[in-house]
Amino acid sequence: MMLSLKNISKSFGGVKAVNKCTFEVRENTITSLVGPNGAGKTTVFNIISGLTKPDAGAIRLKNKNITGMPPYKIAQNGISRTFQITKVFRNLSVRDNMLIAKKTGDAEIKKTLQSVYFEKSLDTIASELSYGQQRLLEIARALSMPHSLLMLDEPTAGVNPRIRQELRTILKNLRNGGKTILLIEHDMEFVMDISDKVIVLNEGKVLREGRPKDVVKDKGVLEAYLGK
Amino acid sequence: MIHEFIISDLTVISIYVIVVIAFNLTVGFTGLVNLGHMAFFGFGAYASALLTLGGVPWYIALPLAGILTCILGAIIAAITVRLKGDYFQIVTLGLAFIAIAVSRNWISLTRGALGLPGVPEIIRNNFNYMLFVMAILTACVIFFYWLTKSETGKIFQAIRDDETATAILGKNTYLYKVLSITISTFFAGIAGSLFVHYIQFVDPTIFDLEFFVLILAMLIAGGLASIKGSIIGVFSLSILLTSIRFIFADISPELIGAMRQMLFMLILILILIYRPRGMFGKVDV
Amino acid sequence: MPSLEILPQLLINGLIAGSIYALAASGFSLIYYVVKFQYFSHGAIMAIAAYSFFAFVNLMHLNYFLAAILTIALSIAVTLLKNLLVYRQLRKRKATPTISLITSVVVLIFISSLLLAIFGSSTKTIFFYNKTFDFGIFTITLIQVLVIVSAMLLFLFLWFIFKKTKFGKAMRALADNKDVAQVVGINPEKIYIYAFIISAVFGAIGGVLLGLEQNLYPRMGIPIIIKGFIGSVVGGLGSVPGAIVGGLFIGLAENVGVLYLPTGYKDVISFSVLLLFLLFRPQGILGVKIRDT
Repeated sequence: MMLSLKNISKSFGGVKAVNKCTFEVRENTITSLVGPNGAGKTTVFNIISGLTKPDAGAIRLKNKNITGMPPYKIAQNGISRTFQITKVFRNLSVRDNMLIAKKTGDAEIKKTLQSVYFEKSLDTIASELSYGQQRLLEIARALSMPHSLLMLDEPTAGVNPRIRQELRTILKNLRNGGKTILLIEHDMEFVMDISDKVIVLNEGKVLREGRPKDVVKDKGVLEAYLGK
Repeated sequence: MIHEFIISDLTVISIYVIVVIAFNLTVGFTGLVNLGHMAFFGFGAYASALLTLGGVPWYIALPLAGILTCILGAIIAAITVRLKGDYFQIVTLGLAFIAIAVSRNWISLTRGALGLPGVPEIIRNNFNYMLFVMAILTACVIFFYWLTKSETGKIFQAIRDDETATAILGKNTYLYKVLSITISTFFAGIAGSLFVHYIQFVDPTIFDLEFFVLILAMLIAGGLASIKGSIIGVFSLSILLTSIRFIFADISPELIGAMRQMLFMLILILILIYRPRGMFGKVDV
Repeated sequence: MPSLEILPQLLINGLIAGSIYALAASGFSLIYYVVKFQYFSHGAIMAIAAYSFFAFVNLMHLNYFLAAILTIALSIAVTLLKNLLVYRQLRKRKATPTISLITSVVVLIFISSLLLAIFGSSTKTIFFYNKTFDFGIFTITLIQVLVIVSAMLLFLFLWFIFKKTKFGKAMRALADNKDVAQVVGINPEKIYIYAFIISAVFGAIGGVLLGLEQNLYPRMGIPIIIKGFIGSVVGGLGSVPGAIVGGLFIGLAENVGVLYLPTGYKDVISFSVLLLFLLFRPQGILGVKIRDT
């Protein structure tokens, strides 16, 4: 088991954003975390990556307890992530962005960038890239850092259909090559196409989990999305 | 203000370049707006003055002043660097005010407002001292170019651009921020020592707001995150200030100081409004 | 440690100093709250007010009432000029809060130099026939009574504006959420002007009282706004009632501190209080929410 959450809870000023959330992510799979807005998905991501401290519960990465560790330590333990709104280093070049993740030569950097169909030169300053290109750069950067689990927060948000299509291929290739991926997504077609497992979150709790075609037929899930 | 009278002096200009580059390291390269930067410069000056007046030879006092200053810097950084941006600025601003209060009131150590006169020189000959200072300046510039291009320097800039993203890439951003300030305050302390052994005097006015604004002006005019900018910024503003002195040459002496200050502030306001990135600035503060 | 007999006098002294600090702090805080930047040039307004009152009374021999009216009018004029020429331009160019802070300090120094150029460096005293009242356990002068009474009246006036007037509600709406406020038809620039006018009135009265209580010198705006800044932070940055509480607290702390430390250490006391609050209670006495950057 790559990642396991047990009874993770978090409140913000009286509002329970995450409520006894429990699920597992298997090695070498693509797992999608879905759910209506406000279900707590990004909070769960922030808790796993250490940016938010849970009020209760435990997280284990490859059976090591990482609950409450500072973000940099969790990263060093092998979790790499991206964000809903890209967080590239705006004033640094493409090359420098990648070098922060891993100190290596231009050849390897170019290879990683090409694997996500990133086309611009290494010297380009990140702020000069289009939004879609920045997103690809952020994914490449996350790939660069040595990791066992890759977490992507809405990788298709705000990107054009061509890059969206490329992302399907990119993620499937990564999984086929042995990677473990956990992602948050709203694009249900995307989720259906690439996921091995879908976890539906609602009001901070796991509502249903299973294979994509099983989850999508579930009455409870439909109610959660469409309202009673 | 002492600093005003000798702004055209190459020795002092070189010392200011060291101060401004060190300032740029934390503000421009790491994104830490340390408004108390000049408090460390003054601390270095006082430390070196007190050491040499106490009989310590200059070749020990100079590096020791730098070391003592950076230890102080490290301690303060360790405590304050966790505060959010706004509050970090406020704390460091408060430091400058505290430095004024302490230097004025700890009379048994600092002689208060009377200051410490008769600080021994390092090199008696002014021209030779200028060469000495410029040699140190050259070493500093080489060091900072190397640092900002190194892996550590890139991490500083990554922290400035996005601290969270830097953390999730496995870097202990807290330690890097403390390191940035520690390095910066070391050089501020060295600069303070070089300064005090030149003008041979130090008093609480070294912590004055006007002096800090002068250094700040040089930093901003030159541009953030640019070492070249800091060098040119110091030189340009020094030339500007010196020429202002000649514009008002025929008015009464008391009036001159005030009018020069006013003109300089006016130019600064224009830069802040219309060109806050200065000449070579790469980022916003 | 001096005997506790002098405690009533120290408390009165603290109230007096605290009132002036609170006046400086509330002007600073009001602008921070509404216009969202650190308004250090408020100290310059106080200095201008002190010097113009001096000019009206000592040099032009006007009566106090007329001098006060003219001083307030002049302070408002200078404040609005500053807003128009400097701060409005910064807003138009989307200047960062740090740049705005630095600009404000530069304006403060500019005006201090202007006062030096106009009036010279020698300290000045405003003509005033000051009476001393001896109450046994403490003494207090007429000026000092004026300070406390004016400050209290002004704070009451400020509370009234904030809570009871439509304009006060508009200010609070704008401060809480600028975008939403604009959607409901509030014009930010107009509200900013009113906020600056109020701060100018506070600054003017505070400056005149400061000038009466102490002597005038060109740089006087700097130490007073530093104390005002400390009061604002200690009371709770971004809260105007906090500024008043903080200012009074600093004044009292400084003066009661005389029981334990020599008078010269008053500044050290306020800065130490600042440091302690920033480290252990950055939200201030009134517990203002700290904005995430």
